[in-house]
Amino acid sequence: MVPSHPKLKQVFVLSTAMLSFISFWKAASVVLCDFGSSAYYAGGIAMRAFGPAFPWFVMGVMLFSGLMLAVYTESCIMFVRGGVYVVVREAMGKVMAKFSVSALVFDYALTGPISSVTAGLYLGGLLSNILPLLHINWHVPDRAFAVVFAVLVTAYFWRANIRGVEESADDNLKIISFVAVVAVLLLGWSGLTLYQRGFTLPPFTPVFSEEALGWTVHFPWLKAVGLIGIVMAFGHSILALSGLETLAQVYREIEDPKVQNLKKAVVLIFIFSVLFTGLLTFISALIIPADLVAGKYAENLLSGLALELNGPYWGRLGMQVLVVLSGTLMLVGAVNTSFVGANGVLNRVAEDGILHDWFRHLHKKFGTTHRIVNIIAVIQVLIILASGGDIFLLGEAYAFGVLASMSFNVMSVVILRFKRMEEEREWMFPFNLRFGNVHFPVGLLLVLVVLLSVTFMNLLTKKIATIGGLIFTAVFYGIFYVSEKLNEKKAQLYTPDDDNDEKLNLRREADILNVVPELTKDRRILVPVRNPNNLVHLAAVLETADDDTTDIIVLSAKIAKGIQSGGETMSDEDKEVFSAVVLLAEKYGKTVKPIFVFSNDPFHSMAQVAQAAGVDEIVMGVSGSTGAEVQLEHLAMAWGMAKKPDAPVKPVLAKVVWQGRQMTFQLS
Amino acid sequence: MIKQADGVSLSSVITPETVVFLDGPLSKEEAVLRLTEAMLPQVKDIIGRKALFDRVAEVEKLNQVLESGFYIPHAKFPELHNFFAVLGVFPEGFTDPATGLKVRAALLLLSPHKPAYFQLHLNMLCRLSQTFQPELIEKLAALRDPAAVAALLKGK
Repeated sequence: MVPSHPKLKQVFVLSTAMLSFISFWKAASVVLCDFGSSAYYAGGIAMRAFGPAFPWFVMGVMLFSGLMLAVYTESCIMFVRGGVYVVVREAMGKVMAKFSVSALVFDYALTGPISSVTAGLYLGGLLSNILPLLHINWHVPDRAFAVVFAVLVTAYFWRANIRGVEESADDNLKIISFVAVVAVLLLGWSGLTLYQRGFTLPPFTPVFSEEALGWTVHFPWLKAVGLIGIVMAFGHSILALSGLETLAQVYREIEDPKVQNLKKAVVLIFIFSVLFTGLLTFISALIIPADLVAGKYAENLLSGLALELNGPYWGRLGMQVLVVLSGTLMLVGAVNTSFVGANGVLNRVAEDGILHDWFRHLHKKFGTTHRIVNIIAVIQVLIILASGGDIFLLGEAYAFGVLASMSFNVMSVVILRFKRMEEEREWMFPFNLRFGNVHFPVGLLLVLVVLLSVTFMNLLTKKIATIGGLIFTAVFYGIFYVSEKLNEKKAQLYTPDDDNDEKLNLRREADILNVVPELTKDRRILVPVRNPNNLVHLAAVLETADDDTTDIIVLSAKIAKGIQSGGETMSDEDKEVFSAVVLLAEKYGKTVKPIFVFSNDPFHSMAQVAQAAGVDEIVMGVSGSTGAEVQLEHLAMAWGMAKKPDAPVKPVLAKVVWQGRQMTFQLS
Repeated sequence: MIKQADGVSLSSVITPETVVFLDGPLSKEEAVLRLTEAMLPQVKDIIGRKALFDRVAEVEKLNQVLESGFYIPHAKFPELHNFFAVLGVFPEGFTDPATGLKVRAALLLLSPHKPAYFQLHLNMLCRLSQTFQPELIEKLAALRDPAAVAALLKGK
């Protein structure tokens, strides 16, 4: 009997959200949808807390955001899959990491309500102006409307996240582009108005409300004047700084060259934030009379700016429509970010074994961590109802987690300067004194001093934030603590659970040829992989290949002897290989096409895939058991056997790469 | 003997003198031993008998039968400056214990162990595995004459 040729018994194409990378524009827009949304409420809340001096401090916070963005740039570069949990864990251990995440989740729980309620208030304000023009005699109860709207938005994103709808960077870019156009119009028109009317700069001295002084009234020595007053006012404005964690989460998705693109994204975020949140808030204070800022427009400051410009009413109303539309899009986007962010952070800690598997139970139909999403939704709805649509109450509670996570993050980056002093960093926060290998972080320490001062002051002044934040943090810390203990017991009883895997989506294909049309670039490189600890060759390819012109096909072939059964599945070891591949691709920000095949012979599967895909290079890692020469011999034999007699096959470079060396030959 | 200038033409290596028919039931190891015996006259002035058998036996563990049913045991020797080959045809065939594949033709290839020859060595392996497809092996097994085998492979 004529033996049959070896076949690829089953071909799987793997996909994960993390294998497509985004430009710095899109990365910046994802962050800005969260970071920039505070422009719609920060000014009003700060005004309520310490009066007409608020624009100075909101602008100050936005300028300070540049420093914080720089700190996060350094921490992102150190940990591709970072975020405050990973950074703090590496620097200060799991206990502090649990605290920082608990505080961060508190802010995610508040980001949704503060954003959706603000959007509701802006919409309510707009309806109050439009309905009379349409002869509809209905007075919109602002706060009740905001509560209903916020609950509906939360319900919408609860459903979307249960169904596993991914946040789209494309949508974020469209929103931010639209917001930018509205902002330019608003700035231009505001400039014209200021030119016509002239202006007086707002006072710099904050005048605190009784509520904004919090417990400091019990400390006579802690007068809200001078530097202490500045720190207090800064603390009441710091809620404009929420969203930095999103930068850490989105870094893994940034395309090559990763660090340069991160820097560009950070500069964009900074410029946008200063101009949008900082300057528009400042201009609002110049154009809107102070009594209206504190009263009529306190809950929708930028609407107030639109309505107080010089010009015909219909024009100003049109501007308000644009402001409300852009604000609603951005704020509603921030609600989704709060779901995605909290879910992502809790999943990250779960991967580390400090959240019980119960929380990570996957939805039967959609495969999402529905229990975490349910909990976030319930907490957010309860907060919305409890607030009664009072944005100031929400603002009073906000910023505990922002400050805590930022302080922990800065502290950790400082510690890591000493703990990982040998580690080369592509970029580090400036103002360092160099002693041998140590870059003593003077600049970072100054930032840390500011943050700790503000954190301490906020603990005293923002009662609701302090009480709510501490209770929430304690509850979540308790959950993490108990979960960790339960997981430790479980680990002793069972083999390690399989929940720690990268979520890999498998798509089965009948033939490798079905995958070829998905390869659209001029050059193609095939990288066979087998051992997650031996991916030097993949790293070499990722380092040098041009992502714009080269498809990188990562092939894992598993030997499945005998007759085709069709029932083979990936094992945990196979998933481990691809998890390592995904991590590496993320590190370099380059797209790879992972293919997993069951085959009688791995070399033949390489040859078959390479010939079907018309690759230019095959880059293998060295095998410890056989060595490079034997690998090339096997590949050469498989190459010949796979060749069809009359089909032209272009010459292909075959490389075996290992630390510092490579062997290159041609297959023809 | 293949000269480097000959590239990877099989007809220059597979001549009636380098083709052997090996009858009878054989194991894989016996088949390789018989091929090595047949190779010896070609290289006896360059490589000692023991060195040849030892080296072939050593690398044979790393070689594997191709799914086409063709087997290419191959070894590299620093003493060589040319390629040498013996083609064995096994009318009854033998079974590869590792894969269960039935082998009815095998080619023992000796190559120079020098960097300059490695590309040619790979080309040779590639050409051999491309040429010895199941249909050709079936035809070879049906022949009884080394000259007929060499003629069939002429131009490959």
